[in-house]
Amino acid sequence: MADAAFKTRAHDALADANLKTAIDRTTGTAETKRAAAVDAFPEFQAARARAAAIKDHVIANLDHYLIAFEQNATAAGAQVHWARDAAEAAAIVSRICSDAGAKIVTRAKSMLGEEIGLPHALDDAGIERVETDLAEHIIQLAHERPSHIIWPAMHRTREDVAALFFKDHHPPPDADDAASMVASARRVLREKFLAADVGISGANFLVADTGATCTVTNEGNAELSTTPPRVHIVTAGIEKIVPSTDHAMALLRVLVRSATGGEVTQYTTFHCGPRRAGDADGPEEMHIVLVDNGRARMVGDEFRQMLRCIRCGACMNHCVVYRQIGGHAYGGTYPGPMGAVLTPVLDGLAQSRDLPHACTMNGRCEEVCPVRIPLKTLLKAWRLRTWDEGLVEKPVRYGLGLWGFAACRPRLYRMGTRMALPVLRLFGRGWIRKLPLAGGWTATRDLPAPAARSFMDQYERQQKEARK
Amino acid sequence: MSARDDILAAIRAGLTHGRDGALPRQTPAQIAAEAAALLADPDEIRPVPAGPDPVASFIAKCANPALGVTLDRVPGWAALPQAVMAYLASHDLAPRIAVSADARLDALAGAGLETHRDIAPLEPAAISVAQWGIAETGSVVIHSAPDQPILNAMLPRHWLVAVEEDRILPFLDDYAALAAPAPRNAVMITGSSGTTDIEGYFVRGAHGPGFVHVLLISR
Repeated sequence: MADAAFKTRAHDALADANLKTAIDRTTGTAETKRAAAVDAFPEFQAARARAAAIKDHVIANLDHYLIAFEQNATAAGAQVHWARDAAEAAAIVSRICSDAGAKIVTRAKSMLGEEIGLPHALDDAGIERVETDLAEHIIQLAHERPSHIIWPAMHRTREDVAALFFKDHHPPPDADDAASMVASARRVLREKFLAADVGISGANFLVADTGATCTVTNEGNAELSTTPPRVHIVTAGIEKIVPSTDHAMALLRVLVRSATGGEVTQYTTFHCGPRRAGDADGPEEMHIVLVDNGRARMVGDEFRQMLRCIRCGACMNHCVVYRQIGGHAYGGTYPGPMGAVLTPVLDGLAQSRDLPHACTMNGRCEEVCPVRIPLKTLLKAWRLRTWDEGLVEKPVRYGLGLWGFAACRPRLYRMGTRMALPVLRLFGRGWIRKLPLAGGWTATRDLPAPAARSFMDQYERQQKEARK
Repeated sequence: MSARDDILAAIRAGLTHGRDGALPRQTPAQIAAEAAALLADPDEIRPVPAGPDPVASFIAKCANPALGVTLDRVPGWAALPQAVMAYLASHDLAPRIAVSADARLDALAGAGLETHRDIAPLEPAAISVAQWGIAETGSVVIHSAPDQPILNAMLPRHWLVAVEEDRILPFLDDYAALAAPAPRNAVMITGSSGTTDIEGYFVRGAHGPGFVHVLLISR
């Protein structure tokens, strides 16, 4: 994902009126519902603080908890695999699928699956991949990537979805309203659920003391993906660990309210090993792939607090930039503020250096984050690294160098501003619409014309008058 | 080194030589104490009950229209067949229902209902018995077992679920305390299946049941 193209993508997104409509409809609803859920839960701030503390505790003891989880999951009969990076994780999943002789694989939405390139890996292995989350089904038909971590098809209007379903569903939906289209997807996907050889899910939590994985959904597609097939594979980031089911519940309370405004998801499901003797249903094998992909390194660098993230999507729903350009413009797996912090970890800073700059620093993301991640601070840390690693464009670098030189020399600086003020005032009264050499800036903005005298001059004058 | 060793080594290096300095490493006993302390004062981080007792709270939560649940109070297991018949009739459904192997459902067969254990992919109605109910959220919990097929809760259009009043727990934490040893699959179900994936507009009956009917069995 070449980030040189970020500005082009953002520009194109801004010109797309249909996209703006689609984003506004969903983020607007999400913001309203979250606000109502938080208002109805006066303990929310305390619960947030506790949730952040739980995640910090896990990260500070991550090695301990991963080993405990592995032991308990293995004791329950699951097979635990470890993957250093995306390629290794995707290869492990592909191998398990081919060992199982899988022809059809159902997937319950998992952003980690997207992160490790699972859709491509399965397609390359010649396996029929069935995305079962309704939104993932929509983007699979549209050959797209998710544009939001909770509503992957947020960029699609109802009219877009109708066009896709009428083309691909046989028989087609009864009508083009949301209910008819959901019913149509239910019909089409029901056969696949029962025919699948392998079901792949993510995990919202890995419970260390039981060895269970926990997945939350509203549609029920996770249970239908993980119960009928012979093999269940879970792919999860190593930061998803919680000490116990009780800690998972504490996080669940803030996760769901922040994501959809509900008190709890419709389906909260804990999987602990494969089918047991006499069980009426369930998979014969359960595999858990623990994925690092940059996370272990974050434990030791300035992005450690980002490992608190529980993937609720509130930061993007409340982000003024996301709401203008949507998720695809960010170019990575994860969009919005959390994505602008994570994408440089996953894709490299050189590829994504524009993302930490595509932020107004208004701080809404931090205010709504259920685990109080200091997103502004982390974005600033990336800006600093962009400078330190020499990734800032030369004109900006020289310009800032020049400014830095002057700023360290107060007399020179004051002389400069004294000379610049009358010149700037030649270009406009009140507002400056055009300025030589600054066309890029003034093309979309007006600059307020400066005062006749600089602040320092006015201050000196007032001090003198006060002494008289 | 294996991937496992590499990942654990990288984590330990980050914790002991990290940019923010070394975090003090703790013994397993210290870690357990700290984890337990994070659960102290549970009332500070959970909602106040919706009713004077767990059963009243559970009923109040199920009345929330957003959940898409209906609830009937049933005076004992003996009254269950009648309640099931009434529900099916009220939805213009034939008196046929898929049942799990739970012995408490055996009486349904003799009461004018046709029951069967093999659930069909497009089953109109099925009934299960929940292990627990949770008052905080209006949830019911099923545990996979020989007499508890998970698919019976997922495939039907109408899912009926019986739960005994004295199995209603006040909070999510109370259920979590019972979680070990963990069943293979525990599913906490709160209302009917739904989706907001098309423009954030809520539609009931996405993949799972569009109708959930709770039969609250009193002693």
